[in-house]
Amino acid sequence: MKAAVIVAAIAAFSPSVFAAAVPGQAAPEFRAVDVTGKTVALSDFRGKTVVVEWNNPNCPFVQKHYTSGNMQALQKQNTSSGVVWLAVNSTASSHSDYLPPAKLAAWFADEKAAPTAILMDTSGDIGRAFGAKVTPHMFVIDPNGTVIYAGAIDDKRSANPADVKAANNYVAAALSDARSGKPVATSSSSAYGCSIKY
Amino acid sequence: MDENLAMQMLRLISSLIGVWFAVCTAAAAQGLPRFGAPEPHVKAELIAATDAAVPGQPLQVGLRLVHDPEWHTYWQVPGDSGLPTRINWALPTGVVAGPIEWPHPHRLPAGPLVNFGYEGDTLLLTTLKLPADLAHGTVTLDAKTEWLECRDVCIPGSADLKLTLPVKAQAAPSSHAARFAEARKLVPEPVDGLAARGTTEANRIRIALDLPAGRKADRIEFFPLQEGRIEPAAAQVLDAANGTALVLTAAQPVKADAKALAGVIVANGGPAKPGGWTALVDAPLVAGTVPLPVTGAPAGAVASGPTMTLLAALGAAFVGGLILNLMPCVFPVLSLKLIGLAQHRTHSGPMAAHGAAFAVGVVLSFVLLAGLLIALQKAGSALGWGFQLQTPWVVASLTLLFFVIGLNLLGVYEFTFGSGLGNTRAADALVGKSDWRGSFGTGVLAVIVASPCTAPFMSAALGYAITQPAALALSVFAMLGVGMATPYLLLTLFPALLSKLPRPGRWMELFKQFMAFPMFATCVWLLWVLAQQVDAGGVALALGVLVAAGFTLWSLGLAQRGASRFRWVALAGAVLAAVTFMPIATSDPGSGSKTAGGAGWVEYSPEKLAQLTADGKPVFVDFTAAWCVTCQVNKRVALNTDKVINRFAAEGIVRMKADWTNRNERITQALAQFGRNGVPLYVLYDTSGKPTVLPEILTEGTVLAALDKVKLASR
Repeated sequence: MKAAVIVAAIAAFSPSVFAAAVPGQAAPEFRAVDVTGKTVALSDFRGKTVVVEWNNPNCPFVQKHYTSGNMQALQKQNTSSGVVWLAVNSTASSHSDYLPPAKLAAWFADEKAAPTAILMDTSGDIGRAFGAKVTPHMFVIDPNGTVIYAGAIDDKRSANPADVKAANNYVAAALSDARSGKPVATSSSSAYGCSIKY
Repeated sequence: MDENLAMQMLRLISSLIGVWFAVCTAAAAQGLPRFGAPEPHVKAELIAATDAAVPGQPLQVGLRLVHDPEWHTYWQVPGDSGLPTRINWALPTGVVAGPIEWPHPHRLPAGPLVNFGYEGDTLLLTTLKLPADLAHGTVTLDAKTEWLECRDVCIPGSADLKLTLPVKAQAAPSSHAARFAEARKLVPEPVDGLAARGTTEANRIRIALDLPAGRKADRIEFFPLQEGRIEPAAAQVLDAANGTALVLTAAQPVKADAKALAGVIVANGGPAKPGGWTALVDAPLVAGTVPLPVTGAPAGAVASGPTMTLLAALGAAFVGGLILNLMPCVFPVLSLKLIGLAQHRTHSGPMAAHGAAFAVGVVLSFVLLAGLLIALQKAGSALGWGFQLQTPWVVASLTLLFFVIGLNLLGVYEFTFGSGLGNTRAADALVGKSDWRGSFGTGVLAVIVASPCTAPFMSAALGYAITQPAALALSVFAMLGVGMATPYLLLTLFPALLSKLPRPGRWMELFKQFMAFPMFATCVWLLWVLAQQVDAGGVALALGVLVAAGFTLWSLGLAQRGASRFRWVALAGAVLAAVTFMPIATSDPGSGSKTAGGAGWVEYSPEKLAQLTADGKPVFVDFTAAWCVTCQVNKRVALNTDKVINRFAAEGIVRMKADWTNRNERITQALAQFGRNGVPLYVLYDTSGKPTVLPEILTEGTVLAALDKVKLASR
């Protein structure tokens, strides 16, 4: 009984389920300040396909996709064809992984990354609204604001940059399906990576 | 007491977490070496259970992972984040490695996320098949191993591990044999006589377990063997009401076509703990209904409910009952009682009998309502007190009831039980005019109407009662009824008090007619509540029902006055009313509450609250509902005054609104944490995250005084 009460109490106190951006449903609207201080809202991009990438430069899984050049290539290829790419960092400012806006911007510049905007989500509100759990957790939103993909970047669940070549990139596939007007074949997967430092 | 101990444990745990966060923050701020420096935090080693390899026999080997304190690695399904540990074997010809035989994992929380993995000293077992013709001499086993080691940061780890064993005809246990025996116990396997069946509804999965004799499960954790099936961080609620069952939350998007859910059950902490065990289950899934179980009254942060003694609970219930007479939503009934009292003076019957009948009506209704509530909770519905008004059809029905009573008071019709029964006046029974049945009816009505308002005084008693045997719980409710009936009972016992009331006369008829207006006012309030629950069409339907009912009763009145042909018109009107009512009766109670947060109010969510308190922000949470009149009154007189609003702003207090107008399981659970089962509930979290519960009836003064007492940033 004692144990049961403690467990029940802990279970009740522990945060339970996230809200989530679920494929087929509307993406949660958000408003955030980017690393340059500009305010960005998801609704600003109605009419465009939007990719949301959860980022934390100190995470080995994020590093995997940047040192291999995989993420930058995906960003460049798609932003040049009109896709909006939002990199979101939900690391709490109290966490050792936290980078202030200027430093985060510098990291993206060093990596020659090409997101449309780099958003600060220090409060974790956007991450929680999307149900983002790991870095990199990826979401693709269609021009109507509906989530069409949520999950991992690819099917090679590792932190090894060498695995990128052989991987099936779910985000690229979803964007390609969307471009050709087809329903997205794989609309969700279990994301892998480091936990987001909420 | 158990609960006290539990609370102390909780405080200890939360303060430890607090210290840990403080240390981390300080470390980060002072630029100490960052966590995640390349030095490894997990030592890996390849070991065997025996001192030699025997050709043709299985060889038990294992990957031993010794984690630094606070560091962990992952199970085959890592949970919200992380990666499972992998072994790539390079083995001599003919030697075949089986899969990793994983010991049961542990839940490892990381902020709002939960991972599945291991801490401390862990052994991942693998069974190797050795060929009969294995060359004598030695055999070298090569395991290229990869893992992800994490604390609050993650580092990929890897090791190329080698183990060389002599090949012999016979082997003896190695120095690690005991370690292997221990590890083997932790590997879940199917258990004879343990059957698991799953039911799914929306995103809830209920796994019912038939436990073999001798196995107990006071505490169960479930770990899914497949990713993307259940939400790792969601609370897994043990429902021991009917057998043993665990309610899980399915991951989004819900795989509705899944036929089964396979996983590992860890009971009572697993085999390493006394009375603990683990098992592999594969539960077939069928669609059905999965009510959210009520976890009883968990040891809340506030000691009010659960730690109450029986006497205190009975006393509180009595006082609560007394005060109920003063609550805003009991007012219409008070006016009914006033009529009743005034009219009893015209009758010769003993007043005490009326008082007793009223009291019995009140007490019986409370007991019945409580019995129903307990039965529903036992059945596992996440319903709280006041739940009646969370369902549109109940609200619409009550509107109709008050409208009908109002018309009766105005004299539009007399309600008779058909001609055969003579002139038994049922409506009079409700307003308590002629005999003891009337008083009884008034008592019943008083409780029905009062139930949304009973919450503040009853919640603590209810929180206590729910954890007690039913008989005890019911006596607490009976006491609440006694408290509520006492003033009325006193008036009837000492009729001298009644002489202060004016003499009967024509004013009484006028007073009765006037009393129709409080009834209609109540209709307005109920329709306003309904408007929070359904759309404009729904409200229009409800109003249509009232029109049809009005027409019916008007026709009935004409028939009663001799125009008997109108009886058929009345019947037609009744049918029309019933047909109009149908869509309301079937409307979904959960269809999104339209009650907005309101200016300056943030919508409640447990995650948001946890985040804000973790950030050291003071938070005021208003647990409220549109149908809770007390809540509305508090809002007007205390919460939305300029003084309070300015003070909240000055202190930087985040105002959070938890709207319980429609059923909301998460809010029901949050209320339960405070031992409550109803609204209003006001909780103020100070900058250290410590909650203070404010009284249920607020004034500007009480709110400001509460703010003075707690630790806020500005001081």
